[in-house]
Amino acid sequence: MFNMALHVGSTQRPEAVLFWVMAPMAVLAALGMLLVKKAVHSALLLAWVMITLAIFYIAEDALFLGIVQVVVYTGAVMMLFLFILMLVGVDSSDSLVENIKGQRPASILAALGLGGLLLSLIARAVTNVDAVGLTTANTAGNVQGIAQELFTRYVWAFEVVSALLITAALGAMVLAHSERKHTSQRQLSVDRFRQGSLAQTAGLPASGVYARHNAVDVPALLPDGSAAPTSISPTLQARGDIIESAPFELAPSVEEEN
Amino acid sequence: MFTSPILDYSLLAPILIILAGALIGVGVEAFARKEQRAPLQLGIALVSVVASFVQLLRVRNVRSLKAAIDSVAFDGATVFMQGSILVLAFFALLLIADRGNFVAQASAIPGSQDEHSSIAEGKSQTEVFPLTLFAISGMMLFAAATDLITLFVALEVLSLPLYLMAGLSRRRRLLSQEAALKYFLLGAYSSAFFLFGGAFLYGYSGSLSLTGIATAIDVNSGNDVFLLIGIVFLMVGLLFKIGAVPFHSWTPDVYQGAPTPITGFMAACTKIAALGAMLRIFYVALSADVVMWRPIVTVISIITMLVGAIAALSQRDVKRTLAFSSIAHAGFLLTGIIALNQSGLKASLFYLVAYGFATIGAFAVVTLVRDSAGEVSDMNRWVGLGKKSPLIAGAFCLFLLSFGGIPLTSGFIAKFSIFTAAYESGNTTVVVFGVLTSAIALFFYLRVIVMLFFTEPKSDAVTVSVPSLKVKLVLAASVIVTIVLGVYPSLLLNSAQSFASFLR
Repeated sequence: MFNMALHVGSTQRPEAVLFWVMAPMAVLAALGMLLVKKAVHSALLLAWVMITLAIFYIAEDALFLGIVQVVVYTGAVMMLFLFILMLVGVDSSDSLVENIKGQRPASILAALGLGGLLLSLIARAVTNVDAVGLTTANTAGNVQGIAQELFTRYVWAFEVVSALLITAALGAMVLAHSERKHTSQRQLSVDRFRQGSLAQTAGLPASGVYARHNAVDVPALLPDGSAAPTSISPTLQARGDIIESAPFELAPSVEEEN
Repeated sequence: MFTSPILDYSLLAPILIILAGALIGVGVEAFARKEQRAPLQLGIALVSVVASFVQLLRVRNVRSLKAAIDSVAFDGATVFMQGSILVLAFFALLLIADRGNFVAQASAIPGSQDEHSSIAEGKSQTEVFPLTLFAISGMMLFAAATDLITLFVALEVLSLPLYLMAGLSRRRRLLSQEAALKYFLLGAYSSAFFLFGGAFLYGYSGSLSLTGIATAIDVNSGNDVFLLIGIVFLMVGLLFKIGAVPFHSWTPDVYQGAPTPITGFMAACTKIAALGAMLRIFYVALSADVVMWRPIVTVISIITMLVGAIAALSQRDVKRTLAFSSIAHAGFLLTGIIALNQSGLKASLFYLVAYGFATIGAFAVVTLVRDSAGEVSDMNRWVGLGKKSPLIAGAFCLFLLSFGGIPLTSGFIAKFSIFTAAYESGNTTVVVFGVLTSAIALFFYLRVIVMLFFTEPKSDAVTVSVPSLKVKLVLAASVIVTIVLGVYPSLLLNSAQSFASFLR
């Protein structure tokens, strides 16, 4: 095994040392990312995996890719991840309830199977194979080489990517942007006077005016003694969390008897 | 040192016109007044599709591999597929523009006060049109791209708008949003597989272009394990897009959840683009290695046909049924790849057009069957629809018969020619299974027809709403194409024959 890794890309000694120090850490971090419970820990481990990858890229003469990896992924994308995690709530963790019975063992088995298959196939394929082409690709310099490819051979694909960016921006607008009409206090008061009746121009009656129940779930009494349903928040009404107001109502019939 | 690249703009113009239309659409979103947006957007979208088609007709006889350095091949198959994507997209756009299929405001939480007020204000999400145009441009490029980088970019350009639009249904919004999320996550996953496979093919051949990979296979220079892994993973990404088993699980959910016009657009046009790219990859890059992939594709094709046909039998929802029918058709279409000969390519091109028109027509009918709450896709409530509205139900039956492959419909000629091609190439097994599963599927289609016409309607509030002019146009075109291609197939078969070639 040791020899195999050394052989790939005819690794020099310092690079081999670097690889054998960093690679286990990267693998452990990647596994940890899957296994830890808290999303923030998972994100931090992912950031570590990305930094390790960047170090590998730089060690293998792909300087530009390494820097981009740090700036774009570890910097921008990871910060975005953390930002969203903070929005959702740091303490929220995934629900681990299985919807389909036996799905987890089955998927772990399948993942191990596929992983093992790929690992053995690739291991067999790369034994005694030298990596080639790196020096040719880097003759004009790493960044220059990439620029050359990007702006000549792959310029069309490079241009078309802009369509992707516009789609993403447009999509974010569609899903998240809502045009709220901003109504000023002045407008609101004008509206109140123009609504036809002047009954509620001073605002809706406040709830809870009984001695025993001065809570938000009890309707207020109007001057004539009847209950005012508008005094209760529509949310409570929709939930049905309202105390029956009949016993408190100063019903006209009761008054007559007294 | 730096030589500036030469692009052949006349050959790229069909794609560029669509992209320009999309950009103007985005501008309209920003600057036009609200009530002007919808008609403006529809106008821009239709004009750019027509202009693009006209430009395509003007350059239809040009053959070049240098349209965009080595990234885009402009050959017969490209012209035919781009043309059919444009024609089908034209009708899909008409369907999209029809009233009441899209959410009033996507950002409003389902069932909230916001949603009610946005509906009351008559808002509409007119961004759908530029998004559709972006998707069309991606599809046109996907069918023409000749290197793995461009293929991947095109795949994303066509998918991203579709993920979005799948979540914009006006009714049953939670279902729609779930569908969009599911489609997005699984789609991203399959794109990753595509990239992984592409990386291995690069490792094998040292080249990202399809011809480069073909040369490497010819001289057998590389490492066979890399080739195998590369082919398999590339296939996963592509099979996901056409909805072949075992990568089909998104199809029924997304078809059901997405707004019906988008489902129609997706079913017809994505299939052309994805199958076009797949045909190109297998015919151009991997044809020399046929012994390695033909067994895999054969097995997948057979499973796909079986699962699609059998699962369709147990569905209760019209859109889910059509989804499984589309899965079965993905299986039939794969036989065109297995055939790996010129008649296979010709048959695939014909099949895609025939299937596309029948699909758009079928989904157009689905948008019309409504009750007071909106579209009704529950099959049991379609009972006896033929008595309420014989014309629309008749059109639906015609599309189903075409799906089933009954003679005198386009579906028969399509199936006949694609199975003939597979038979010619000596793949009898797949043909036998194809015919068998067609019979199973036919049983199901006939059951629906019996239900529509020979069962008494329930006293239910389900009605067929009077189609608007746009939907009438779509239905008329689909019916005419389905019948004409069934009776007089040589109209399209001849041109498919002359366009059925890949430049290498």
